[in-house]
Amino acid sequence: MVAVLDRKLFRDLRHTVFLVAAITLIIATGVACFVAMRSSYNNLVTARDSYYSECRMADFWIELKKAPVGEVARLGDLPGVTEVRPRIQFFATVDLPTSESLLNALVLSMPDERLETINDIVVRQGSYFTPTRAAEVIVNEDFAVRHGIKPGQWIHLLLNNRRQELFVVGTAISSEFVYMIGPGAILPDPEHFGVFYVKHTFAEEVFDFDGAANQAVGRLSPTVRARPQEFFRQAELLLAPYGVFAKIARKDQPSNFFLSSEIDGLRTFAAIMPTIFLGVAALVLNVLMSRLTEQQRTVIGTLKALGYGHGAVLAHFLKFGLLVGLLGGVVGCGLGYLLAEGMTALYGQFYRFPALPNRSYPDIYAAGIAISLVCAVAGSVHGVRLVLRLQPAEAMRPKPPPSGGAVWLERCGVLWQRLNFGWRLVLRAIIRQRLRTSVGVIAAALGAALLSAGLMMVDSSLFMVEYEFKQLSRSDVDLTFESERGRDALLEVERLPGVDLAEPTLNVACTMSNGPLSRDVGIMGVAANARLTLPRDAQHRPVAVPENGLMLTRALADRLRLRVGDTVTVQPIKGLQREHTVPVTAISDGYIGMAAYADIEYLSRLVGEEYALTGAQLALDRNAEARRRLDRALKEMPAIQAVNDRAALLQNLRETFLQNLWIFQVELIVFAGVIFFGSIVNASLVSLSERGREVATLRAIGYGPWEIGSLFFKESAVVSALGTLLGLPLGYVLMLLLARTYDTEMFRMPVVVHPAALLQTVVTAGVFIVAAHLFVQRKIMRLDWLEALKAQE
Amino acid sequence: MIMSDNSASSLDASDVAARPLVKMVDVTKTFQMGEVEVRALAGVSLDIFAGEMVVMVGPSGSGKTTILNIVGGLDSASSGDVYYRDIDLAGMSDRELTRYRRNEVGFVFQFYNLVPNLTALENVLVATELVREPMDAHEVLDLVGLADRADHFPAQLSGGEQQRVAIARAIAKNPELVLCDEPTGALDYRTGKSVLGLLVRLKRELGKTIVVITHNAEIGHIADRVVRLSSGAIVELVANERPLPPEDLVW
Repeated sequence: MVAVLDRKLFRDLRHTVFLVAAITLIIATGVACFVAMRSSYNNLVTARDSYYSECRMADFWIELKKAPVGEVARLGDLPGVTEVRPRIQFFATVDLPTSESLLNALVLSMPDERLETINDIVVRQGSYFTPTRAAEVIVNEDFAVRHGIKPGQWIHLLLNNRRQELFVVGTAISSEFVYMIGPGAILPDPEHFGVFYVKHTFAEEVFDFDGAANQAVGRLSPTVRARPQEFFRQAELLLAPYGVFAKIARKDQPSNFFLSSEIDGLRTFAAIMPTIFLGVAALVLNVLMSRLTEQQRTVIGTLKALGYGHGAVLAHFLKFGLLVGLLGGVVGCGLGYLLAEGMTALYGQFYRFPALPNRSYPDIYAAGIAISLVCAVAGSVHGVRLVLRLQPAEAMRPKPPPSGGAVWLERCGVLWQRLNFGWRLVLRAIIRQRLRTSVGVIAAALGAALLSAGLMMVDSSLFMVEYEFKQLSRSDVDLTFESERGRDALLEVERLPGVDLAEPTLNVACTMSNGPLSRDVGIMGVAANARLTLPRDAQHRPVAVPENGLMLTRALADRLRLRVGDTVTVQPIKGLQREHTVPVTAISDGYIGMAAYADIEYLSRLVGEEYALTGAQLALDRNAEARRRLDRALKEMPAIQAVNDRAALLQNLRETFLQNLWIFQVELIVFAGVIFFGSIVNASLVSLSERGREVATLRAIGYGPWEIGSLFFKESAVVSALGTLLGLPLGYVLMLLLARTYDTEMFRMPVVVHPAALLQTVVTAGVFIVAAHLFVQRKIMRLDWLEALKAQE
Repeated sequence: MIMSDNSASSLDASDVAARPLVKMVDVTKTFQMGEVEVRALAGVSLDIFAGEMVVMVGPSGSGKTTILNIVGGLDSASSGDVYYRDIDLAGMSDRELTRYRRNEVGFVFQFYNLVPNLTALENVLVATELVREPMDAHEVLDLVGLADRADHFPAQLSGGEQQRVAIARAIAKNPELVLCDEPTGALDYRTGKSVLGLLVRLKRELGKTIVVITHNAEIGHIADRVVRLSSGAIVELVANERPLPPEDLVW
């Protein structure tokens, strides 16, 4: 007998094929999001873990002034330290004939011979060092590709103020630079920043570091890795005589930090997105199942009269939901796999791994299908609860007419009187069909929230870029000198060709503390009335850098629990390292990093100088020829450690960023569209099937199909418009939640709400409402209303 | 006068000159029911004249509803011609048929077919809003004796009241032709009679042309002419010299 019921089940599915398709689509999208995000998450984690272990990724980095290799090696005696490598690192500039501007380089020493080592490299082209020459170099792959550098070529690096010619033996990547970000940079700039690996003996010679190193990298046992504070304290004691500049744990290492934030963010998204979709699907399924059981009340009564128990009948209807869930789950897994492929490839553009394959994960698919089944059953159970209540005799009597009575809106007499019968019909239907209306409103609200939050995120990202480049730091090029210089350096820079404005900067790395709270940060000294660095308050109005005391960014002030009027202890990391207690005289707001600002003269006195600068910010003539002359002049200028071409970076950023934003926006619109379209089509088709006789009657009276369609359109438009409007504030809340997810010490996400984003959400919703209606309209046109006229409900 | 001819064109010498409102000529209708072809009408010819009341009687399956649907522009004939005021319904597009139903025809259904979410008055307004010169909705409700029930929803009305709303809806557009499909079929004896009384008044006072189909032969006594159908063909056409008032009917 069960087999017969199953046959009925399949016919039911076939008769409601569009409804089933709409719900399956929503479920499949939710499952696809889940599968794609979890798979991408797994892909990234797997690739990271295997890369880290392949390269023996360090757990700590300690930057030193200069320490004997033997002393550095003593770190290995500290508890929990399993391995240490002393390393030499220097910043340099590269002069490539192919590039007009001076490029920045990080030079790192590697063992002369290939052996298992911490922060190892993966050779991509050519080979590791050979015994043939001393001056051999391995270039990081991205930089080499962008500048056409190939093994067998000679390149020039300005090392320790001497021009060195090095032979390129290979190109490589390393787990230290999965996210290729330069020191102190906020964005990767593979065009202007490269990593150059040289033989350790060569580095010792060039930098006058015989038997010495200025960095220790090492690995820790798992317990110490989890809580490295005590290790760092002991390491600092041990190496203090040699000048400890910075102690960096793996979680704070820039590349790893960005990668980990991305991975964590992905995990959050993998929870939020599917929840929205599966929630909507469950609600919509509920509406469909309620209708299906209502429609089949006589069948249910007959089955019960024949002797089927509650359980058997209930199971029959639940199977319908289960099949929809299974279908959605399987389709979703397939889509999810494809989507994961795309997402993973996109991640591969920003995060460099030896390989970042998209794998299949049976456990994720199983979980995806399970989640979709749970959602489908949850949606069905509520819908088919009628089955249990219905007594056979009652079920077989025709359905009583739907309960009438005035709705509350009719009490607003004047307003109601002005409505024509069409609107009255629509509003009564909306108010009476509470379940369907609520589902429609919730679905539209979630769709609109998803879309508006996504668009707000796009606007916020764009805003952050503009803020950072156009409002906070407005220079075109930043220069960093190799060491502190006096006023004469500024005059020299001002005289460079094409420079409209040059302003001095003094960067002092220090440990800032308030009682037990402390952070290593940079204080940036700028000239009074500086025009190229303009710290701003929460309303983005410029705040003057005080003549005395420090201006802290809010992120830093909050972490150190400081307010204006408090004092803070500052100890420079380099130089005399004398402790000062200074007042906090202003707070500014920023989104990237934690920083402090001070007047350059005040800061100079603090570090014991009369007037010092470590760099300069330049505003340039827009003329291309002037720019070429500047680049040539910079190549000739000695003692420049880094040239940061912010204008080029901004340009580059806009190109890559905008391209990906476009993809992101299309995805969002498609996702939101699935929700709008799916839920509206469902609600309208269910409504159409309930009101078949009404439609037929109106047709018989002389209504045309478009006039009848307009009644259905008004209904779904009112419900969806209401939901969309509610969705806008909901989207704002979602955006706040996302911003909080990304709120870290390095990075804060602004929440920007442009009216255009809200408008785009409303317009998109409108387009999908109309599109969904056209689909329903087609059904109305094809409705066999003569048949419906004869049929008795 | 009883005629066994299934043509009605030679009914009466005085009527020959009058132009029929509706003219059916040798109309057939076949339905495709799955793989079986069902012949619902087997060559029906019938004239309906303005201002008369025609009652069609016959068992289910005799084709009365099919005739009503074809005359009302709900369905089309498989062959033969149907004219309304000399206009061929078969030649009309969907849009023209909709306009025909809108302006010329009023329908009354066995199960009333009121829109559940509209009040009695609004159910009449549904019809009046469609046409340029409708009757006043309140007046029509008054005419069917429901002025005091105007704000009630279908669920709050009795069957007879619902049918009277349906009749009000049918005539409020001020159509020439009112087509009633078993108007008393779902009503009790007394209510049924009062609904029929209403139809007779419509004919007499407003001069409407009324076609009623029923399986209840007794109702034929109120008609000007009775068409008896069987198996898709007219088997008898009777003209009543003196139609009975509905209150005198017994069934």
